[in-house]
Amino acid sequence: MNKNKRRGLFRALAACAVSAAMLATSSCSLPFLGDKGGRQKGTIAVITKQQLSFWDDVKKGAEDAGDELGYNILYSVADGDNDYVSQINAIKEAINKGAKAIVIAPNSTTDLNSVFKEAEDKGVKIVNINSKADYDGVASLICSSDYDSGAVAARNAIKMIKTTDPKLSNIGKIAIIGHTASTAENRIKGFTDVITNQVAATIEVKEEDVELTAEELADGKTIEEKIEEEKKAQLEKFKKGIEQGERCAKRDAAKEEALKLLKSDGNGITVMLGTNTNTTLGICDAVNELGLETNITVVGFNSDEEEIGYIKTGVLDGTVIQNPYIMGYVGVRFAHKVANNQTVPVELDTGATFVTPSNMNDDYVQLMLYPTKK
Amino acid sequence: MAKEKVRKSGTRVYLFAGILLAIIYCINAMLVDNIYWSNANMSAKTQNSMNALNRINGELASINLDTVSIAANLKTNMEQITVDTENHYKNILASEAQFEGIEGTSAVALKRYNYAKAIISTYKSRLDSLGTSAVQAGNEMEMGYILKQDIYPLQITASEMLTSTIDVVGAETGRASAQNKAKSFILMYMMLVVAILGELAIWIFSRRAKKVRAELEEREKSLAEVDAKLKSTRQKASDLAVMNVLTGMKNRYALDNDISDRLESGRFQIAVFDMDNFRSINDTYGYDFGDEYLAAVAEKLKAEFGEVAEMYNITGNEFCFVFNKNISESQAMGIAQNIQRVMSSPFEVLNLAVQLPCSGAVYHYLPGDCLNVNSLLVKLDTAMRNAKLNGGNMINTVMNI
Repeated sequence: MNKNKRRGLFRALAACAVSAAMLATSSCSLPFLGDKGGRQKGTIAVITKQQLSFWDDVKKGAEDAGDELGYNILYSVADGDNDYVSQINAIKEAINKGAKAIVIAPNSTTDLNSVFKEAEDKGVKIVNINSKADYDGVASLICSSDYDSGAVAARNAIKMIKTTDPKLSNIGKIAIIGHTASTAENRIKGFTDVITNQVAATIEVKEEDVELTAEELADGKTIEEKIEEEKKAQLEKFKKGIEQGERCAKRDAAKEEALKLLKSDGNGITVMLGTNTNTTLGICDAVNELGLETNITVVGFNSDEEEIGYIKTGVLDGTVIQNPYIMGYVGVRFAHKVANNQTVPVELDTGATFVTPSNMNDDYVQLMLYPTKK
Repeated sequence: MAKEKVRKSGTRVYLFAGILLAIIYCINAMLVDNIYWSNANMSAKTQNSMNALNRINGELASINLDTVSIAANLKTNMEQITVDTENHYKNILASEAQFEGIEGTSAVALKRYNYAKAIISTYKSRLDSLGTSAVQAGNEMEMGYILKQDIYPLQITASEMLTSTIDVVGAETGRASAQNKAKSFILMYMMLVVAILGELAIWIFSRRAKKVRAELEEREKSLAEVDAKLKSTRQKASDLAVMNVLTGMKNRYALDNDISDRLESGRFQIAVFDMDNFRSINDTYGYDFGDEYLAAVAEKLKAEFGEVAEMYNITGNEFCFVFNKNISESQAMGIAQNIQRVMSSPFEVLNLAVQLPCSGAVYHYLPGDCLNVNSLLVKLDTAMRNAKLNGGNMINTVMNI
């Protein structure tokens, strides 16, 4: 009995030794023993502006990043781009649910500050996407500059006109229908600034085109000065030709506004800009109805399915798309980094891409148009 | 035999358990090996992926640096820059091929990578447009726009996607190795449990075997006890059949048994003795006294002659002596006289000294003298009666005719 017991004890010890050896070897053979493998690291709240396909793409990007990084994404969307009240509630909910960070596209520059402060006091980091709140605690802003987006629209519109009219000699009036949110302002500004520059750079006044009056000769004005004057005058004329319609929120209203601007014959307009999905669609509806698609270069914003349809039929010549998927994705990534005390760029420009019938099948453009694919 | 069987099955179980343990350990070793290789394989693959991705990112940064330099008018040798950029891009393509050549990249990592790849190729095509018309035309405004609006966001998002891919690959590797780690832990604890259970089973079995063996031994012991008891009972019974209870000497049946085989070919000395007039004792002192007296005589005879003769108490007070083989005829006569002397000496029974004369007969038996023990005893009895008829207290010899 005693002998047997001893033998059993010996074997148990041997088994322990073997197990320990196995443990040791297995530990040695595991080069990545960090807790990278752990799945759930917590919650990141993503709060967006309103129910639009743009924000759905943001959500998709955020969720992808959450999956990859191991976060639970708490998504909420406000009822409109002025609705900061529901955003305040969403932030409070995020704080209560112990979110590590909040990725928010703020619907107000200052009204969220007090609740941001609350979040910061609880150690919740704040990352802005799309637009920036006027609050110091915002760790990073991931956005596509609206000014630059407008500029991209302008540059590409000019580029398209130049293919048939290199000197822009036939450029007529520019009509812009903006949407009601704050983003419209910068887009329009970017667009008008750049289109003016571009036109200014192309205006050519030859010596034979100008003639110095006797008066001017007497004043000692040179022909060069006269040319400059003429250029300025032309530019001023062009600038005057930039018309802005009433701001519209709805597609029908935008259509009405476009029809008003276009009259029935186009009213000398050669370029039209819509600053968001609804205004772009409204302009397209109007241009389509009047059958002016060949005369008017229509540029717009965003990539709604119907806008893509208008691109295919040639009514819409091009649309500026920002990259909401990347915005959501990088937003959550940065939130993760900030929550782990890593440094992130203060601002990241996700860029704007001009989509035309010729490039809309490119991989990159397809990725932006259909972020859920692949 | 039962014991043997138990021992045999015991060793068989030990053997079986040993083989089972060996097999389990082999399987375990294989699994551990498998985990080890899958880890090694994975880390090599990860390393490879990371290298490719990091190189792409690095080359992209180099191209971007050149681009920024052009914009800042730090570099003006456009040809050189174009060549550099093409070289960097070639490296990028090579690294892309390297990454795409790695098998087993997860869908998530591939998605992220493809995103980065699409951005990079768009980046390159936009860069080409920068390298051509605008730069050649010296259109700095346009260059600035391209750089700020087209190229810069693409470069940083591409870089971000690449680092994301790296993170994804890293996280997946981490998860996979955590899984492997968990697997090896589970394996280890399973082995521990197997070992412990095995030992427990062996211990329990050996205990049970021991118990069974002990039970068997116990039963055998009790069986042997019963057997011994039976034997002694039987012995007692048979003793009673061939023994005179009063004197403790063998009786006439015993004599019959002992010497009937020797009658045909044996040669031996035999004698019978008898008290003369023993009846007077019974009559005078009672049967109990007579019995005691006989017992005393028998004790004395056994003590005196046990070594030279086998003694039988064939009837009430008649004793038969079969002398040992080495006793000669004359010696037998001498012993017979001694016997007569002893028997006729006084015996103290119940505080009474009593003395009785005795007579006897000695027979020098020759082979074939008698057909059976009965006729032998008749011969001896006749000779002894003759002695008693002649006054008793004497020894007669059986005459051979």
